[in-house]
Amino acid sequence: MSFTTGEARPAAETLEFLDAGGEDVAARSPLQLFWRRFRRDRVAVIAGGVVIVLIVIAILAPLVVSILGLPGPNVENLNATDAFGSPLGPSSAHPFGVDQLGEDVASRVIYGTRVSLQVGIIGTAISTLIGVTVGLIAGFYRGWVDTLLSRTVDIVLSIPILLLGIGIGAACSVKGCLGGTIEPGISVIIFLIAFATWPYMARIVRGLVLSLREREFVEASRGLGASNWRIMLREILPNLTAPIIVYATLQIPTNILIEAALSFLGVGIRPPTASWGQMIASATPIFNTAWWYMVFPGIALLITVLAFNLLGDGLRDALNPREAR
Amino acid sequence: MRSIRTAVALAAVALLAVLLSACGSSSSSSSGGSSGSEVVGTEGFASPATQSLEGKKGGTLEVLQEGDFEHLDPGIAYYSVDYVVIFATQRPLYSNKPNTASSASPDMASGPPEISSDNKQITVHLREGVKFSPPVNREVTAEDVAYAFQRATNPNVANPYVGAYFKSIEGEPQAEKEGGAKPIKGITTPNKHTIVFKLTEPKAQFVAAALVMPISAAVPKEYAEKYDKNKPSNYASYEVATGPYMIKNNSAGKVLGVGYFPGKSLTLVRNPNWNASTDIRPAYLNETRVKIGGDNAVIGRQVLEGENLVQSEPPTQANIKLAAEKYKSQLMISPGAGSHYIGVNNKSGPFKNENLRKALWAALDRTAMDKARGGQLVTNVMTHWLYPSNDPVWNEVIGFNAAGGIKGPKFDFNEHPEGDMTVATEYMKKAGFPSGKYTGSETVTIVGAKGPPAEQDAEIVNSTLKSLGFNTKFTLVETSTMYAKYCNVPKEEIDVCPSVGWIADFADPQTVLNITFNGKLIVPTGNVNWSQANDPELNKAMTEAESVNGKGARAKAWGEIDTKLVEKAIAVPFDWDKQGNIQGKNVHGVGQLWNVGSWDYSWTSLK
Repeated sequence: MSFTTGEARPAAETLEFLDAGGEDVAARSPLQLFWRRFRRDRVAVIAGGVVIVLIVIAILAPLVVSILGLPGPNVENLNATDAFGSPLGPSSAHPFGVDQLGEDVASRVIYGTRVSLQVGIIGTAISTLIGVTVGLIAGFYRGWVDTLLSRTVDIVLSIPILLLGIGIGAACSVKGCLGGTIEPGISVIIFLIAFATWPYMARIVRGLVLSLREREFVEASRGLGASNWRIMLREILPNLTAPIIVYATLQIPTNILIEAALSFLGVGIRPPTASWGQMIASATPIFNTAWWYMVFPGIALLITVLAFNLLGDGLRDALNPREAR
Repeated sequence: MRSIRTAVALAAVALLAVLLSACGSSSSSSSGGSSGSEVVGTEGFASPATQSLEGKKGGTLEVLQEGDFEHLDPGIAYYSVDYVVIFATQRPLYSNKPNTASSASPDMASGPPEISSDNKQITVHLREGVKFSPPVNREVTAEDVAYAFQRATNPNVANPYVGAYFKSIEGEPQAEKEGGAKPIKGITTPNKHTIVFKLTEPKAQFVAAALVMPISAAVPKEYAEKYDKNKPSNYASYEVATGPYMIKNNSAGKVLGVGYFPGKSLTLVRNPNWNASTDIRPAYLNETRVKIGGDNAVIGRQVLEGENLVQSEPPTQANIKLAAEKYKSQLMISPGAGSHYIGVNNKSGPFKNENLRKALWAALDRTAMDKARGGQLVTNVMTHWLYPSNDPVWNEVIGFNAAGGIKGPKFDFNEHPEGDMTVATEYMKKAGFPSGKYTGSETVTIVGAKGPPAEQDAEIVNSTLKSLGFNTKFTLVETSTMYAKYCNVPKEEIDVCPSVGWIADFADPQTVLNITFNGKLIVPTGNVNWSQANDPELNKAMTEAESVNGKGARAKAWGEIDTKLVEKAIAVPFDWDKQGNIQGKNVHGVGQLWNVGSWDYSWTSLK
């Protein structure tokens, strides 16, 4: 959090300043204050640790699979199924069992982390960029600009993302659309998620900007002759950092779930690329006899979504302690 | 002539069924070689070929099925799910007993068809004393059979096979052009119980064999004509029966909303006008109630643990396994349930090159493909197209033995069912890729079907192609979409359709090979020559074989064509299907060998 002209110090910092007992102390930076508050939240710290582990797994998936002695995610081995072609359960060779093609479920879960985090993080980053830009402009300029952008937000919010995904999946699945520009796959999923979720960020940012633009430090800056863009980027945007980080963190698990849902419906990631949603979909008809095929990707999805949600909550508490949960 | 739509978990997809017949017009060929059961390996399990046809009278059977019926009009019905109702309620001229796939019995006919020496005329005499169910109540005549054929050329009825199998009847093409407005010129009824089919080509044996199709079931003109004028015909909502059962109706003959509630239920009750002395069916059950809806996997478990129940559709792979391990006596395995193969585009894309097709064939692990479909209990590794049954006569007449039997024609790329990359590499080199890997610029478009087992097969094909160096564009769509929008539409130029299927309509090899591989029969939509094979040599051979008469001669001629299809690797085969069917504890289910083992409600009984 940045403290600019005329902005009040947070109460917690004031208390720490008073607690110093007259000794010479250096004021803590906002980052130090954030960290001090964040680390007290053990749940959030653990969630953050899990997120870091997931990111490491995603980046180093081939190495992790190799270290664990697992086959690659797309290595088919029908010998790992029984005489009826049914997948065999967890064993020392395949700790999470195998799927109908004898592919190692553990290996596919590990590689599935890549897809989920890619979609979650990149999709959120793009939607955040768009949402912040639109919200900032709408809130700052108000008037017809605000009306135009806000109505655009309303229109986009009225588009059901799952139906849109299914539609694109159905229409563009084989030959692609727009001369092959749009083809189902990870890039389209990311686009869809960014397209469908930026309005939420835009609304939040717009509301905050409407409030911030009336504050004294903005007036002061304007009085000193700062341009609109400078005010927006140098005065207002830094004060939006905390809510943006919090909201974006909470948006990541939502986006991961959207990807899983689209893949579950068969319009997301194309096989043989491993995706948790797709694995769960494939496991559905055989859940009765191959529980492991649904349970392990399901657990991975649950842990990932939970970790990001708890991390987001922790960040919100640490960045804005005055806001009640 | 129906493509298999693997509908294991998908309600909307119908399995395509089988009709077959030899119509008794000539003596059966002797079986040669090994017995059917040895050939197809169903030892230890009940099979329609060896089942007892005895039963106990009375009781109500409950049938559970996930999906609805497609068409219950005998003039339209073409899928096995419909056939089980059609053949309990309608009597075509000839029909198969449930335990044979190769020889038909006279049904509405009183004896075998009489075929003229020039093979251009078929005469069939009808049984006397067979009556339509209420409200028609009168005796069936030859005119009713003639009208059944006439209405099949009516676009309101839209019979799917009349043109394919009966076009050689004089005036049939003209009747189709005229929309079925007039009787077909070549079908005459010299008396009340005789019908004559006059042909323009010497194809009497083939046409006579096709008389087992439900198109030959009598339809009363004075009753049905008003329904057939509607577009589409709604005769099915009021249809009358000639078989032992009828769909429950009201006094006006209406079955829709009385005995059949679409998406919910269908009830078969006894036809009060049925005379057992005129029929080969025992009709043990008093009533059959079909409950439509639910989940295929759940239905399977209900049936295995319940009583008075059968599952109408193919059980899931998991339930087959469950039945085989715990409820063995409730599982019936029916060989001869068609085949699955990979359609590879012979017309455009990289697989124009015959050697690339052979490389794919050689590299493919067909045992893995079959294991993904449920393993040896429900599959045999396919080595050519004319498929086996455990009816040994079938294996002769269909040309299965003539084409090399279970091992198939001997070619190096066909020798190793588990795949042989060495042979594949050699063919890649012959195709112009010295490294043994594809280095061309074309990307192979693969369109497969979602859901097991087609999805797993498609993935194996995709990985096999990648192992040969191909770049692939791999898409899975709904089964119906795969066929209707992509694989059945040549202009889409799909390179690989990884799991297409076919079942013979009746016991003649032409129904397996002609429409699926004859380039002259490629059509812009609804095309089932999935490889778009258009080889002049093969086309010529098939045209000539169409006119061959005599079962042995036809089996030989088509068996040689089958071998040629392998030699040129027109497509890549992988699975001869065996269909599993399950029944409740106290049910003596009788499966139709000729119809992928579907339960026959006219022969099934309760213990």
